[in-house]
Amino acid sequence: MSNQQRAILEVDQLSVSYGSFQAVKGVSFAVQPGEIFGLLGPNGAGKTSTLSAIEGLVRPNGGQITVAGFSILEQPLYAKANMGVQLQSTSFQAELNVSEIIRLFSGIYGKELSPAEVEEKLVEINLQESATKRYGQLSGGQQQRVSLVISTIHDPQLVLLDEPTTGLDPQSRRQLWDRIEGIKAKGHAVLLTTHSMEEAEAVCDRIAIIDHGRVIAIDTPEALIAAHRNDPDVISVSRKGKITLEDVFIGLTGRAVRS
Amino acid sequence: MQTNIPQTSAVMTALLRADFTTLWRNRRSLRLVLLVPLVIVISWKGLVKTMGGPYVIAGGITIGLISIGLLGYTNSIARDRDKGVFQRLRVGPVAAWTIMCSRILVQIATIMVMTIAIFAVGSAVDKITLSPMGYLMGFLAAILGGALYLSLGQLIVGLIKNPETVNSTTRLVYFIFIMVGMLGNFGVLGEAVKEAVQWSPYGVVNRVIGTALQPATWNMQATYAMLATIGYTIVFAAAGIRFFKWN
Repeated sequence: MSNQQRAILEVDQLSVSYGSFQAVKGVSFAVQPGEIFGLLGPNGAGKTSTLSAIEGLVRPNGGQITVAGFSILEQPLYAKANMGVQLQSTSFQAELNVSEIIRLFSGIYGKELSPAEVEEKLVEINLQESATKRYGQLSGGQQQRVSLVISTIHDPQLVLLDEPTTGLDPQSRRQLWDRIEGIKAKGHAVLLTTHSMEEAEAVCDRIAIIDHGRVIAIDTPEALIAAHRNDPDVISVSRKGKITLEDVFIGLTGRAVRS
Repeated sequence: MQTNIPQTSAVMTALLRADFTTLWRNRRSLRLVLLVPLVIVISWKGLVKTMGGPYVIAGGITIGLISIGLLGYTNSIARDRDKGVFQRLRVGPVAAWTIMCSRILVQIATIMVMTIAIFAVGSAVDKITLSPMGYLMGFLAAILGGALYLSLGQLIVGLIKNPETVNSTTRLVYFIFIMVGMLGNFGVLGEAVKEAVQWSPYGVVNRVIGTALQPATWNMQATYAMLATIGYTIVFAAAGIRFFKWN
């Protein structure tokens, strides 16, 4: 069996358009079980559109997406049952407290939890004291923990995390990285988007750099650095003489600030 | 690879529990929605002798249905869509219809509570008593009328994306329906307006409920009004679903 056949997520020649604007142009990649895969790109590069298509929120106008062998277009409920999603700006019903949100999503994913099991989940994310707090009353780090526990409540084979550490302090970020590595340790796959090259280097096994709707590089962080070490565009943006993943990223996608 | 998707009944149970909890936590605004029709029923006590008890009850229920459909349902959908609540639900293994079905069932429960409250206040304060069949038919007619206003709310939230604009539009439509509907029905605005109001969403619902409360008086006009109610509901719901965007 080839690696492609064993992939938990396969994206093949994905295209996404909004009217006449083509946001994603023939993107292909695969994520293996037990792999943390990073999707990097400047603002407007097509990361969120790619992720939205995988999540089933946007209908692609070309290509195939399969999750655990199920097409997101043809068997969306089966594909979604195999993935957990943490959206960039998650919001829950403002009137529900943390326990109630966990119970809601455990029911939605068919893993109805007893009050004791909900309590266990809260202990797991160190929020047992906040069980009756509304989501909006939690700090950014606490919200991310709730969001992550919900995305993994059904023990999915694939977890999608859209910029999961944005706005977190270093302690919360490290704690989240540990949780992401815990998912990997179970043999499950993680696809994350991030603007932090430090994060990509620290947690991702492989990364794809996407720009103008196309994948322009895909490999391990170390291999990408090694492959582009002598690229003049990369050298020109490096600081202090050491080539980093950020130098490679800027060298490949350009210095211009995107809107 | 073995994959089990959650049973629809389990998903609906989870959604309904959350939506009813949300409704309960919002009971202050729920009380306000219920207050207006109850005030109408109490303040129209003097009309019981001249227009009849069913007229007063039907007026109160119609106004309550407008409140629930336009102010309750529409604004909650617009707010949750804007905050990304639907987006979070839709990335789960949940059929889109279950999300809406749960929301609508909660509103139907509200309509039932409002109708019972109006029957109770009408009986206790205005001394209006109906036959058991009148209560039953009135109850069913209220649900049918509620469907019309929920579909009108769906149309508004389908055509307008911004929650503030949805809020102001529903308030404007609510005000127009109540003022033109009530005054037009009384004939204060002239015969032409009275005729138009009678076949407007306000008028047809009012007539269906008013006649259903006294089933023995059911006639062709009531049948036409019921068909018009169903027609409005289908048109508004079809357009509201067609243009609705989840995010």
